[in-house]
Amino acid sequence: MAFGKFLLKRSLQGILVVWGVVTVLFGLRAITPGDPVNLIVDPAVDLETRERIRQELGLDEPIYVQYGDYLGDLLVGDLGYSYQSSRPVATMVIERVPATLELAIAATIVALVIAIPLGVISGTRRNEPADYGATSFSLVGISTPNFWLGIMLILLLAVEFNIFPTGRRPVAFHDALWTFLTTFYVGDLLTWLHHIALPAVTLGTYFTALITRLTRSGMLDEYGKPYVTATEAKGIPETLIRYKHVLRNTMIPIITVLGLQLGTLIGGAVVTETVFSWPGLGLRLITAINNLDWPLIQGIIVFVGISYVIINIGVDAIYATLNPRVLDE
Amino acid sequence: MISDRVASNLKAEFRRNLLPKIGLVVLTAILLMALFAPVLATHNPNTTGYFDDGTSYPPMGTTAESYEVVDGERQSIEVEPSSEHLLGTNNVGQDVFSRLLYGARTSLLVGTLGTGIAVIMGVPFGLISGYFGGRIDDAMMRVADVMLAFPSLVLALALVGVFGSMTVSIPDPFVAAGLAEGMPSSTPLPGTVTLVVGLVTWVWFARVARGEAMAIRNEEYVTAARSLGASDATILFKHVLPNSLTPVIVLATIQVASVILLESSLSFLGFSGTTLSWGYEIQQGQEYLRQNWWISTIPGVGIVLAVISINLLGDWLRDSLDPNIEGEGGGAA
Amino acid sequence: MEGADNLNAGRRSVLKAAGIIGTTTGLGAIAGCLDDPNEGEGTEEIVITQGEIIENPDPNDHITGPYFNVLDPVYEPLFNVTPEFEFEPRVVEDWEDTDDGAELTLRDDVVFHNGDEMTAEDVAYTFNRMIDPEVGIESDQAAGLGSIDNAEAVDDTTVLLEHEVAPSLAEYEYANYGRVVNQAWIEEREQPVAGDSADAFNGTGPYEVVEYEPDVQVVLEPFDDYWGEETTLERVVFNADGESSGRANALETGESDIVDNIIPEDVPGIDDADGVEIREETSLRNVFLVMKSGVEPFDSTEFRRAMNYAVDNEGIISNALGGYGAPMSQPIPEGVFGYNPDLDPYQQDVEQAEQLVEESGYAGAEITLYSPEGRYLNDADVAQMAADQIDQLENVSCEFNTAPFPDISDANSAGYDDEEMPFFLIGWGVITGDSDYGLAPFFTEDAALETLRNQEISEMILESQTIEDESEREQQLQEINAQLREEAPWVFLHSQDSVYGVREDLEWEPRTDESIYLWEIN
Repeated sequence: MAFGKFLLKRSLQGILVVWGVVTVLFGLRAITPGDPVNLIVDPAVDLETRERIRQELGLDEPIYVQYGDYLGDLLVGDLGYSYQSSRPVATMVIERVPATLELAIAATIVALVIAIPLGVISGTRRNEPADYGATSFSLVGISTPNFWLGIMLILLLAVEFNIFPTGRRPVAFHDALWTFLTTFYVGDLLTWLHHIALPAVTLGTYFTALITRLTRSGMLDEYGKPYVTATEAKGIPETLIRYKHVLRNTMIPIITVLGLQLGTLIGGAVVTETVFSWPGLGLRLITAINNLDWPLIQGIIVFVGISYVIINIGVDAIYATLNPRVLDE
Repeated sequence: MISDRVASNLKAEFRRNLLPKIGLVVLTAILLMALFAPVLATHNPNTTGYFDDGTSYPPMGTTAESYEVVDGERQSIEVEPSSEHLLGTNNVGQDVFSRLLYGARTSLLVGTLGTGIAVIMGVPFGLISGYFGGRIDDAMMRVADVMLAFPSLVLALALVGVFGSMTVSIPDPFVAAGLAEGMPSSTPLPGTVTLVVGLVTWVWFARVARGEAMAIRNEEYVTAARSLGASDATILFKHVLPNSLTPVIVLATIQVASVILLESSLSFLGFSGTTLSWGYEIQQGQEYLRQNWWISTIPGVGIVLAVISINLLGDWLRDSLDPNIEGEGGGAA
Repeated sequence: MEGADNLNAGRRSVLKAAGIIGTTTGLGAIAGCLDDPNEGEGTEEIVITQGEIIENPDPNDHITGPYFNVLDPVYEPLFNVTPEFEFEPRVVEDWEDTDDGAELTLRDDVVFHNGDEMTAEDVAYTFNRMIDPEVGIESDQAAGLGSIDNAEAVDDTTVLLEHEVAPSLAEYEYANYGRVVNQAWIEEREQPVAGDSADAFNGTGPYEVVEYEPDVQVVLEPFDDYWGEETTLERVVFNADGESSGRANALETGESDIVDNIIPEDVPGIDDADGVEIREETSLRNVFLVMKSGVEPFDSTEFRRAMNYAVDNEGIISNALGGYGAPMSQPIPEGVFGYNPDLDPYQQDVEQAEQLVEESGYAGAEITLYSPEGRYLNDADVAQMAADQIDQLENVSCEFNTAPFPDISDANSAGYDDEEMPFFLIGWGVITGDSDYGLAPFFTEDAALETLRNQEISEMILESQTIEDESEREQQLQEINAQLREEAPWVFLHSQDSVYGVREDLEWEPRTDESIYLWEIN
């Protein structure tokens, strides 16, 4: 199967998945007990007014009509209005994306920067103290709930030693960068870095542990393969083999797993944002759920679902380029 | 099912390695603590305390800083631990040690019951999908894809939002038998959360079961059984199901750990309905970090120990049985 | 209860999206001294950090204390409200009662930020916009203006408000609500006013919005054409942090000058820090346990009274609230018109409680108390202690669970005989300063939040709404409050103190209505 056709097939599947996500969410909203009108106006408002609101929102229509309307609106990018704030949901989602993206990327960078060297050391010095250290670290890392880790970091580094702030995001990265590029003032960038350090470590630890594990076992697997033994026999220095061939082949499963773990990353972001008052999508989702603000809940989750599908198609595409055999399957 | 070869593999791995032994010891200890919580607890975990100034006792061996008001002036004082309270008290004067024990109950109950629900939903789904293949498989896998497109925590939150955080009271046999006077007569199980963690994790079991079913469906003994006139249901139940159990057991072990993490995240975010939960306790303590470091710290240690020990046993099973599975893992779940 | 209880920003971040601080801190602050392009000379800028800022820019579409604080400098109130709840002229110069309502006389020199002159038409439109959804919006303030039927501009500076209730009640309503909007400007826009930039505001207040980032910050600067005195502050930033500890931290590091809703646990830290201090004031917000009188065992007055005797409010206040609260003796807090000063809070008396339970015939009852989490100051802690104290009774067992606030809110408006969740913790702010706002929604027949069905009390409340004579009306309200204490429809807990962290050199005193008015800051 050609690459283009492969991509087309995955995209069609992706659209199907997104439709499924939307439908599930619509179903959940429909079965939620309680009167949504209560969430919009003061409970003291009279029946007549409530009835009119119900009509305005289309809540008096049969369920399939509501579903059709909802799909139609989604197709043109209309996510509706928040019950709580009356603002357009699309805006409320988009304005929170940068904060979450910053956090996710920072966490991934933390994870890669720590995990790959650690995994390489661990994989090449099997059963030495360094390996035990790295293995224990990754075991603890995948077993620690990140909200607790975040709180412990706050306890130690913010409350006790006052090195880092307890949370909040005083400046957005793109604004800080713009200030720097236009005025050469680095203060905002430093502030941003200072505030994102703990959240990034908190969110990144699980992935650090996971990638350390994967790199280690990948290295061990690859070392056993004939091509390594052969190149060694040819007298190519060991370090070169390690970094060029083995590591490159180890990256393939790591990329796949990262794609699959995207859900975990997003779930982790929700919790991390809560711990650090980091104003991203996760914090907004928690607020929305607490208020049962369904248009906003739907908007956020649909957005997350679509991103997930797109990123996974991207991961599949990378995977297919690295490993063309999958195209035949 | 588990053959002799598999059993000897398991034994050999267990003997050779220190880690599964540690895992087994720690997990057994936690299980016993959870089971005998009413007997071991020194206080009723719900009993709140009375201090005029809202002071909490620190754990034994430590002191804490607090303040008292003398003539309208706030003065710093040092709070000594109380021998009554091994691990100190929390912000409303409840005994931290007793709550740790009861919290273990909640975590393990939700972990195992939630995983059980996921197995019951996921395994048949995966077996049918993999066994029949073709269009049925395609359709069912799209459903699985939809499930995977929801981050499990996010979907769990939405579901709790829909169903509310209902709890189920499970009568306590020890109290009923009169063995633990003064303890709560029932333990609240966060019902919605248990259901929801099952609903958001079944798809991993479906994937594993499907893989196994696909591998087995063309084996000789299956085709033989089919040619002898066995129905699909019989084949699925008699041949395919038993053969897929090994990877399911391994996955289930690992999933218990990630479900415990998921439960604690939901409790932390305030969605479990019960307060007897490690995650809830950690959240309570977050506001008190300045003075009462132990309120958040101690239950977190409980979670980490429980999850590590289960992961160690999971690793042992995986290394001995070597099924090819991918679970969701959990630290960030 | 999207209503008055919203006044309280929750203590935990999970409830309200937390925001961001606008200025630099830590490393940034150090670098900032070296080369900060934003640093002006001698600017008097203050930063106010609240648990939440506005959800949308519409001044008529919310009923939430912290939102009023942000919007009032922009959309000024029609009247000045003194800390003692006396009304003084502001945009309204003079007002008097007529046969069918009240006549307001307006200043003639008031200008909107977009340059339009304010007219009586605008004021009348503002009221109609809130009370009549056909004209404007489904306003959360509509309930607060419940007795006003219609508004009409008589001439350029006179507005007639029609109502059929006691003048003092109507005055409480129209003088507390009503931030005048520009009719022409509003009608060009979607309703309610949304938008996420400074253009989404157009009031007559002394400050205008120069920067607006939703949920993050609102930046205000003086409005040059303001009719009143010159303003003392040159720049004001309102921002939000959902965590008390985060707000305390912002104050201590100098990022913020006034922070609201500091929980007791963060008080010592602020006390110890240099240049900042704690200022507190009692509030008009009550926290109580609702017992639906149409549901067993709460249909028994003895049982409800027993619950009040079982609970030790003072113990709860000193423990869970660090002493920042006052025990309730009746449904309304002290300082509100109609409060009965002769009533004492229930004192814990376990024996009496057990005896009353016996008398009620519900000995052995099993009940479950539900509480939201993070909605009110240490709410789950408070409820947990109360539940435990009830559970300690020999003949009642009480479980405790937390529940999401929407569930509690649904239960609250589900009627006095709703079986699903008959026993829960909730709060209510009597923000108008008049008992009616704390009584009518709960204790009149078929009211929106009815928790007690008692015909006599219901009639007394309805009657009180029409008593013209102020002292006679006060007496009636006090009598109602006394009867309600005996009827015990709620477990009376406490009214919370509001606790602020403030820069020491700022002249500003907290108010019982929890308003922060910029013109009261020096």
